[in-house]
Amino acid sequence: MTGSQYLLLASFGAPLGLLIACLWEAPRRRLPGLLWLAPLPALAAALLAADGPPLVLDPARLRFTLALDAPSALLLGAVALLWSAAGAYAHGYLGGKPGARRFALWWLVTLSGSLGVFVAADLVSFYLAFALVSLPAFGLIVQDGTPRARRAGEVTLLLAVLGEVALLLGFALLGDAVPGPSLAIADALAALPDSPARSMVVGLLVAGFGLKAGLVPLHVWLPLAHPAAPMPASAVLSGAIVKAGIIGLLRFLPPDAADWGGVLAGLGLATAFWGVGCGITQDNPKTVLAYSTVSQMGVTVAALGMGLALAVPGTAMAVAFYAAHHVLAKGALFLAVGVGAVLGGARRRTLVLLPALVLALGFGGMPGTGGALAKAAVKPQLGDGLPGLLAALSAMGSTLLMLHFTRRLAAVRPAAARSVPILAPVLLAAWLGMAAAALLLPWALYRPLGLGNPWDVLGKDLAMALWPVLAGALLAIALARWGGRLPRVPEGDLLVLTGRAGGLGEAIGAAVARLEAALRAWPVAGMALLALILALFGTMLAAAR
Amino acid sequence: MSGAPIFGLTGAALVGLGLFGLLVQAAVLRKILAFNLLGAGVFLLFGVVAQRGGTAGGGADAVPQAMVITGLVVAFAATALAVVVALRMHQITGAATISESDGAEPGGSDAA
Amino acid sequence: MSPATPGGSLLVLALILPVAAMLVAFVLGGRAAERLALAALGLGALLAMLVAAAVYRAGAPLAYAVGGWAPPLGLALRADGVTAAMLLTAALVLLAVALFGRTGHATPPGLAEARAPFAFWCFLLALSAALAAAFLGGDLFNLFVALEMLTFAALALACLEGKPSQFRSELRYLLFALIGSVLYLLGTVLLYGGYGTLDIALLAGRARADAPTLLAAALMTAGLAAKMALFPLHLWLPPAHAGAPPAASAVLSGLVVKASFVLLLRLWFWVMPPLAAAAAAPLLAALGAAAILAGSLVALRQARLKLLVAYSTVAQIGYLFLMFPLALAGDAEVAARAWLGGILQASSHAFAKAAMFLAAGLIAGALGHDRIAALGGAGRAVPVCVVAFGLAGLSLMGIPPSGGFTAKWLLLTSAVATGQWWWALVIVGGGVLTGGYVYRVLAGSLTAPPVTDAPIGDAPLPAAASRGPQLVALALALVSVGLGLLPLASFGLVQVGRLGAAP
Repeated sequence: MTGSQYLLLASFGAPLGLLIACLWEAPRRRLPGLLWLAPLPALAAALLAADGPPLVLDPARLRFTLALDAPSALLLGAVALLWSAAGAYAHGYLGGKPGARRFALWWLVTLSGSLGVFVAADLVSFYLAFALVSLPAFGLIVQDGTPRARRAGEVTLLLAVLGEVALLLGFALLGDAVPGPSLAIADALAALPDSPARSMVVGLLVAGFGLKAGLVPLHVWLPLAHPAAPMPASAVLSGAIVKAGIIGLLRFLPPDAADWGGVLAGLGLATAFWGVGCGITQDNPKTVLAYSTVSQMGVTVAALGMGLALAVPGTAMAVAFYAAHHVLAKGALFLAVGVGAVLGGARRRTLVLLPALVLALGFGGMPGTGGALAKAAVKPQLGDGLPGLLAALSAMGSTLLMLHFTRRLAAVRPAAARSVPILAPVLLAAWLGMAAAALLLPWALYRPLGLGNPWDVLGKDLAMALWPVLAGALLAIALARWGGRLPRVPEGDLLVLTGRAGGLGEAIGAAVARLEAALRAWPVAGMALLALILALFGTMLAAAR
Repeated sequence: MSGAPIFGLTGAALVGLGLFGLLVQAAVLRKILAFNLLGAGVFLLFGVVAQRGGTAGGGADAVPQAMVITGLVVAFAATALAVVVALRMHQITGAATISESDGAEPGGSDAA
Repeated sequence: MSPATPGGSLLVLALILPVAAMLVAFVLGGRAAERLALAALGLGALLAMLVAAAVYRAGAPLAYAVGGWAPPLGLALRADGVTAAMLLTAALVLLAVALFGRTGHATPPGLAEARAPFAFWCFLLALSAALAAAFLGGDLFNLFVALEMLTFAALALACLEGKPSQFRSELRYLLFALIGSVLYLLGTVLLYGGYGTLDIALLAGRARADAPTLLAAALMTAGLAAKMALFPLHLWLPPAHAGAPPAASAVLSGLVVKASFVLLLRLWFWVMPPLAAAAAAPLLAALGAAAILAGSLVALRQARLKLLVAYSTVAQIGYLFLMFPLALAGDAEVAARAWLGGILQASSHAFAKAAMFLAAGLIAGALGHDRIAALGGAGRAVPVCVVAFGLAGLSLMGIPPSGGFTAKWLLLTSAVATGQWWWALVIVGGGVLTGGYVYRVLAGSLTAPPVTDAPIGDAPLPAAASRGPQLVALALALVSVGLGLLPLASFGLVQVGRLGAAP
């Protein structure tokens, strides 16, 4: 094994190793303070091991494969950075609270899955990593133990399980399509075009990954879960965990899926506007951010879809770049909400509000921000014609939504007295560090990743880049003025419809229970036994004739 | 060898009677008796089979007879066990049937 | 077809050991019974491993002709891959249950002998002997006797506490199992009449698709299905398994039903004409699918923890029946996969369900009740149990990595590969419903305990501080999960001796 292969293994092995160390008391006690260390090997892997040779363990039987291509490495690096900052933040935020250790355990499990999806290169380990990032997130969401958190956790868990089911079926079909015993993703994708079940596979995968990425109408868990979780968990949920869906789509959509590209683009754009529409009626800044995540993931998927439909070269990298910016910026803004809730004093509040405003405008594509570069990166995909116009309109919507967020953030007042002292300097450092990363890293990475010269972006089409921001700002003023007249959308909008479905499920359950109780009567069971004999005999006799 | 059909038919009739009793009779004791009828029918059929095997080889086939003896022992043990459990049940609860509906059964109640 | 192979004496030992231990324990009585049982079950686990190793190394079934008499006149003991796997599963679960029973079924200090513990250890040994006979037997009539022994031993274990409710439910179990036995016996009569032998290896490939044979197959299948509590013949299982003491529930749910399953496999894959079997297999699988869905839905609505676990058994048994159409249809590779999936499901369910019943028993013991709505505080009182329950639940749901996942994945992919995707939907739907009821229990037990008005000293809380039994439950759950970590190729064992499998 080479050094880069060791790094691949360490990227998700480090959190698992920490987890194993927790079997002993001493590491367990110190664990919350060590969370920020766990993602660092992954960060190193992202920097040093990209496009290295894949690692295949036990090629004869297990065929456990790890690999890291450039787009995955970019996302892995961004995600690892956010996990590290949020880990430090979590230590400061939860401090000595009683549940801090339990939280740290859930944190590590979810972290290992969140990093694992970027390096896993065979179906089984990808599925494992995806399950690890989906299901244990429940523990992060319900940390506060409130009924609201519990409900959010349950909805998330149920949807996550449904997503897992879709993926499991998709992977089963995919694995079946591979002629040999290999389960490598690359082999599976190569075999997919000839498979008779191709559209079913792609449909199942889009459903499973789309659910994680928050595509309408499967987005309902985001606006429930992200506000209910503690701040650092919200940051990784919204920044890092939803990216498991994006990497899944990037990895598994076959390059020839032009037909699905259009579908994805339509879904993505619908999601982008849906998120804005629901988000502007929210008061809780975390809910606004969650809807912004829905909207931004919509744009990401739309870019991917258009890239597939038009067969634009370099789509994977462009989409990864857009998503990586979202990791950093959205993670940072969630941290800001937590900082805003503890920092008093006008001057210190500027430290929260000013960078938040810059990041917020970045989501609309304000020239000079990292967000503008992210928008420029997906220009080849979303540049022209109707998609371009819709993308610009969604940028306007994003500006509106994010300015609404900034206003709601400014309205948050620090609570008078908190039961547990919070280590404010750590929180502040984590927030400002992430904000700086979101602003500057796109500038540093734009050229090395082969997307072009970042200064060209600044000079080109200034008017085209500015009008969505200005229009969004005007709309934001209007919203601040007359927004009170808008109808309120409950968190998790479409979820209100499931009440009826729940009633139906209850009725079915009751009917089955009644039927089962009837079947338990002795004579009925006896008759069933005789009927089984006759049925078996009859079927076999008919087949023998 | 004209006995075989008679024994066969009697065996079949016993099986039918036994099954009917086991499924329909409510009282435990009747169920146990029905089980014995059923068993007797099956053993009779074993006898028929032994006789038929015997015609080919001269004398009766010994293997089914050994099976019948083993089966009788098993059926006897089962009857004894069932009677003991039924007696204990009657002593403790006063019940003589095993239908789920009569009498409270803490372990067997459904969801509220 | 050779009557005896080298290593065949291992099989005799595996059968004789528990029988001898039971007889000696019966004579010596009291504390000696407990010690003997632990020693014998420990040795039994060792023997089961030796048998598995011998089968794996030979790549062919082991056989032993009792008394040197070859079938059809004599009786054969045989151990192929299925036998070895199930023997090992049973030995490990029994050993775990025995270790668990050391706290609950110890002879009280100061007494030379107490009735209930003495009976527990003797009947545990009897059960072990009956299971060994059921897995090793090569003769259909012999297997009938083994199944009866198994029913009697299980019944005695279940009635040990002498609670009023137990007698009724166990009597239902006994009588329904007896109907099943007689139907099975009726089938053997017809088979003997047709072929003059009941030896499985001799019958294999010989059976004709004529009416008596098919009627025999139908009767025997239905009888075994009744003993396995295949939906809708499950009336006896939930109260019988839920009412028994935890150690008994664990072996009843985990192992006893599996003996009938192995016999059913012998019948369907060795004795029956393949064409007829393939035609009727979807019927069995349809009932299995109904069991999965109805059992899980009803489990979801139970108010009592032990009943929930018992209904979960009804559902999980359904998965075993899904393997029939998959292993009988399709090409050799798919058949091998479905076969492995079925056996692995039987094995991982045995571990997981034993763990679940033991954990449920300890939780009920700690709280003084097993109402799911009031499980709050269990997570604090018996944390290891709750973890064990959760891990076992993961395996039952089929969340990777776990033995249950591997089993269901194999069945799922076989279903897809043979174009019978509807079974795949059932597998997945059952997994989701399973997740629902496991979640109900876990969420309930992790909430804070209900606030009582009584002063803390009076609270009926939790004496179950002894860690040993909790750790046993956890170990079983870990084995069930750990089965999923083994690479598939290491399960070559269960293919040994399968008809139609590549040697």
